[in-house]
Amino acid sequence: MTLLYLMINGLQIGSIYALVALGYSMVYGIVKLVNFAHGEIIMVGAYSMWYVMSRFSVPAWLAAALSVAICSVLGMFIEKIAYKPLRNSDRLSLLVTAIGVSLLLQNLAQLFFTANPRMFTNIFAGTVTIGERQFSNATTVTIAVSTIIMIGLTLLVKRTKIGKAMRAVSEDKETATLMGINVNNTISFTFALGSGLAAVAAVFYCCSYSQIQPTMGGMLGLKAFVAAVLGGIGSIPGAMIGGLCIGIAESLTKGYISSKLTDAVVFGILIVVLLIKPSGILGRRQNEKV
Amino acid sequence: MSALFKSNPFRYSLNAVSVAGLYAVIMFLIETGVLNRYQALMLIPIGFNIILAVSLNLTAGFLGQLPLGHAGFMSVGGYAAALFSMSASLPTNVELPLALAVGWIVAAAFGLVIGLPALRLKGDYLAIITLGFGEIIRVIILNLKFTGGAYGLKGIGRQTTVTWVYICVVITLFIIGALIKSRHGRAIISIREDEIAAEASGIPTTYYKALAFTVSAGFAGVAGGLYAHYLSIMDPSSFGFMRSAEILVIVVLGGLGSIFGSVVSAIALTILPEALRGFSDYRMVIYSLLLVAVMIFKPSGLCGRYEFSLGDTIDGLCSRIRGALSGKGGGGDGGGS
Amino acid sequence: MAAVLDVSNLGINFGGLQALDDFNIQVRSREIVGLIGPNGAGKTTVFNLLTNVYHPSKGGISLTGRNTLGKATHEVTKYGIARTFQNIRLFKSLSVIDNVRIALHNSMTYSLLEACLRLPKYWRQEAAATKFSRELLGVFGMEAVADAPAGSLPYGAQRRLEIVRALATNPKVLLLDEPAAGMNPSETSELMGTIRGVRDKFEVAIILIEHDMSLVMGICERIIVLNYGLIIAQGEPDEIRNNPLVVEAYLGQQRGSSPCSR
Repeated sequence: MTLLYLMINGLQIGSIYALVALGYSMVYGIVKLVNFAHGEIIMVGAYSMWYVMSRFSVPAWLAAALSVAICSVLGMFIEKIAYKPLRNSDRLSLLVTAIGVSLLLQNLAQLFFTANPRMFTNIFAGTVTIGERQFSNATTVTIAVSTIIMIGLTLLVKRTKIGKAMRAVSEDKETATLMGINVNNTISFTFALGSGLAAVAAVFYCCSYSQIQPTMGGMLGLKAFVAAVLGGIGSIPGAMIGGLCIGIAESLTKGYISSKLTDAVVFGILIVVLLIKPSGILGRRQNEKV
Repeated sequence: MSALFKSNPFRYSLNAVSVAGLYAVIMFLIETGVLNRYQALMLIPIGFNIILAVSLNLTAGFLGQLPLGHAGFMSVGGYAAALFSMSASLPTNVELPLALAVGWIVAAAFGLVIGLPALRLKGDYLAIITLGFGEIIRVIILNLKFTGGAYGLKGIGRQTTVTWVYICVVITLFIIGALIKSRHGRAIISIREDEIAAEASGIPTTYYKALAFTVSAGFAGVAGGLYAHYLSIMDPSSFGFMRSAEILVIVVLGGLGSIFGSVVSAIALTILPEALRGFSDYRMVIYSLLLVAVMIFKPSGLCGRYEFSLGDTIDGLCSRIRGALSGKGGGGDGGGS
Repeated sequence: MAAVLDVSNLGINFGGLQALDDFNIQVRSREIVGLIGPNGAGKTTVFNLLTNVYHPSKGGISLTGRNTLGKATHEVTKYGIARTFQNIRLFKSLSVIDNVRIALHNSMTYSLLEACLRLPKYWRQEAAATKFSRELLGVFGMEAVADAPAGSLPYGAQRRLEIVRALATNPKVLLLDEPAAGMNPSETSELMGTIRGVRDKFEVAIILIEHDMSLVMGICERIIVLNYGLIIAQGEPDEIRNNPLVVEAYLGQQRGSSPCSR
């Protein structure tokens, strides 16, 4: 196991975490909710891709696009049905609701697809050689596409009108409304965008790990959430950095310590970050005014 | 107020009589076969679900902080109790209570150790960090030798009986109910209401947060001990986040901040899935739908903290007296303060 | 007569912004002191420092002869300081009497064990606390609403309940943060009576932040004017009324020039 090999593998899984973490971070930034159901969106993305491909044998790119679309709509739908009615109630209720939605999606998947794992064929077959080592195309494509998406997202948030609206709503909903921004649409868009990214992450995840099951979103989502917290929740570049850090930490733990302990290391990072700097690497500290 | 004060002995005896009476009724139903063997066995999971829900309510409902690792404390207490009883060889009626006490102490110690750093955080962050701790506990138990690793523990004495569960439920309800209605409980509740104002009113908030966490974890540990000695096996995979979430559903459905609600809800949600055995596949789907629906349509839960917990009657004591006076109505939950 | 509160040279900065500097004040028992100044002058910061919600970057506070440096808020409360909040912070879903009983926490001494086992000490102290709470509420004419949720009270009553709750901690110094905010003139004049009554009956020193000049000038024996974190004037109401620096701070003439050379 060379360091380079571990680093590149870390970057690959880290890119996936980063894509998911972006969803957590954007949603948190805009509605101050830890969207527990986000991990399950990944699972839905994976199952919809698998289902479309195995049932209707459509080309992979179309299946991936469909899965992104399904997840985006699902994300918006969940927000409208479950979160919007609670927008002004206390945070605890919102968090409990998110946990409920997460459990619901997971158990529905179990009902429809059973708890047995399904096999998923890698749509990026083949390998590339970097230095001495061979890497699967899935690895390189994941890293490349994720990078492009993250750059695109940064530009979207920084340069476009909807991006400006997102930033305004996350600062102050009332004021944003007064400025003529449609807060509901902006929140919907954020959920759609985050869920779409989760679907992309799902596609990459399935190509590398080839197995999907109803509970897959839980741990993946949690780790991505850890990445979001590490980077500073609410911060988009933070989510990217956090994702990559967690991916690399996990890969190094696997390589040098023990693959059994990766989960413990990831949650250990979470606890250390929360205790030392709860606002994360790039987050802003918020104090309650007395 | 002096009239109420004078009635204390009366209230005590009333409670003692109803606790003993309910026990007699349950035993009579089992002996005469009105409750069949299977139904009688249902009483045990009802019991530890009550303990789990009431103890989680202490932190989620009264302290107002949502821990997501309650199953972690349950497993710690369960393993500790099981390891104790497996290494000791004492008569059953001495061994089980000692094992449960060990479960309480070890789980409470974990609660304190985890609580002290975690409680520097609030709200979502606290929820997440406890979830993290819960997962770490699970991973560690999976990788330790003396806990049996992934195989868990087998051959734990089957010592949990309806009687022991009943005793534990009564003790839990009494202690947590009494705690909530004292100055210490009011201090815990004031933190939920407004931490800054609580601190300004002279409440040492850090102490009371840690206290609530410790006591809550301790009773989860007792439930774990009962569970271990009921199934006679401990399997680390049954204490994940899902289990914590199930307990949360019970508490939320019953009403955050209502002990009475937790008891009712624990009974209902333990019996319901069994009653609908044909639908066992749908159990968690129904649970999660319930959770979302309750949050949207009645966030205060079935019993709502306003009727029972907050205001002046936090432990549901008065309602129980009222129920008893109006013809033995609401005595179905045993115990109380 | 010795000061119950002695603050010397207090200062704090928030990430480079000097929110308060060189703040000195001695408050005698049963004195009513007004703290005024334009928005953002640092008035609430003073209260937060006095109650150790913030910890000062320099200077010290002595409360009834004890140094409060580094203590937690609840400990300082025990030394004898209590406050109300600008944006009312009641325990809203709890009953009015429970709001008061929570503040009596430290006047009860029964332990956790005594509470869980319901030993006689528990019953005795709880009964006494309840009786005391009702009497205290009675002094403020709130006995009738003792069992109503605090959040259901009308605005003025909520402000009054905050004062009752603060008094329940048995303070020597009472800090009132904009007690008349949102009140109409008749409510304000009633409040003035209440504040004087509190001082006389409970023998506390009172420091109050207020924008309503009729109240400040009406009841304060001494007024301190803050601007940009510095004391620009202090004295009796008449002196303050005619002080050009104060007028300038409020009306904003020559904004930007330092107002601290006197």
